[in-house]
Amino acid sequence: MSSALASSTKFRTFAVVFAIAMAVIYVVSELVRLPLFSYHPDNDRFDFGWVSARKDEGPAMHWYGWVATSLIAATVLGLLATLLPERVTSKIPLSLTWIVPVLLTLFLIYSLSFFWRW
Amino acid sequence: MQTVDFLFDYIAVETFWTILLIIHGLLAVALLGALTHQAMAVAMPVRYAGNDSFVTRFRAVLGPRYADAICVLWIITFMFGAWIYIKYRIHIRVPIEQQGYWKTLGVFELKEHLTTFGIGLLPIYWYLWMNPKHPAYDNARKWVTVFLAATCWYAFLIGHIVNNVRGYAS
Repeated sequence: MSSALASSTKFRTFAVVFAIAMAVIYVVSELVRLPLFSYHPDNDRFDFGWVSARKDEGPAMHWYGWVATSLIAATVLGLLATLLPERVTSKIPLSLTWIVPVLLTLFLIYSLSFFWRW
Repeated sequence: MQTVDFLFDYIAVETFWTILLIIHGLLAVALLGALTHQAMAVAMPVRYAGNDSFVTRFRAVLGPRYADAICVLWIITFMFGAWIYIKYRIHIRVPIEQQGYWKTLGVFELKEHLTTFGIGLLPIYWYLWMNPKHPAYDNARKWVTVFLAATCWYAFLIGHIVNNVRGYAS
């Protein structure tokens, strides 16, 4: 199983697209408030999509929802990419798998500027 | 949380969360060690025998042998982190906000984001290490591994800082 995956060009395509899509979709879902669900830890309640904290009910958590959104969407995109012909998928630069997360890290540092204050 | 409620007949709630935090930390130590060895091996490979210094031996490991363990450790450490994040959000973050330690909160937010990027990189990381003799993969293998190692170091250190600012037993 593991050696079959390691020699599979389709798995390579999936992995490349998954890596790029996961980072991009995670950042986009965070920026435009697209978590799959919101979790309210004080009363253990889940809501679909983005729901703000309610008065006297403690904070709302969206990180789990962002992770879920990006995992599902990146998996779907990765699987769809495996349907494309190899002559197309082999042209996706491997270097994008680390360049995209590095660039998005810089963007995230900027986007967190609310916290960089004295 | 109801599934572990029976534990609270035997240990205090704070003790339970502290145990989880320590497990998370120990897993992170194992991950950090493995990733640092591998990143050193791939970024500064040993090209000749004879120099038997500590640094040479540190980076003279066989990188592919670490790949499976690193993927498993990253996922388990991430899951433990996600579990204790619930407690962090209510009992750690809120008091830190009230005390105005904004930069502490900011660097922790970045930790959440970077470790999620790491999850996304695991399949390609694994694939690249399972094909160690493919020269076309050398550059991507090196930089994906270095990115994961840098992320792991960052997450580890920031976790410590936040714990120092306000730990679970505070």
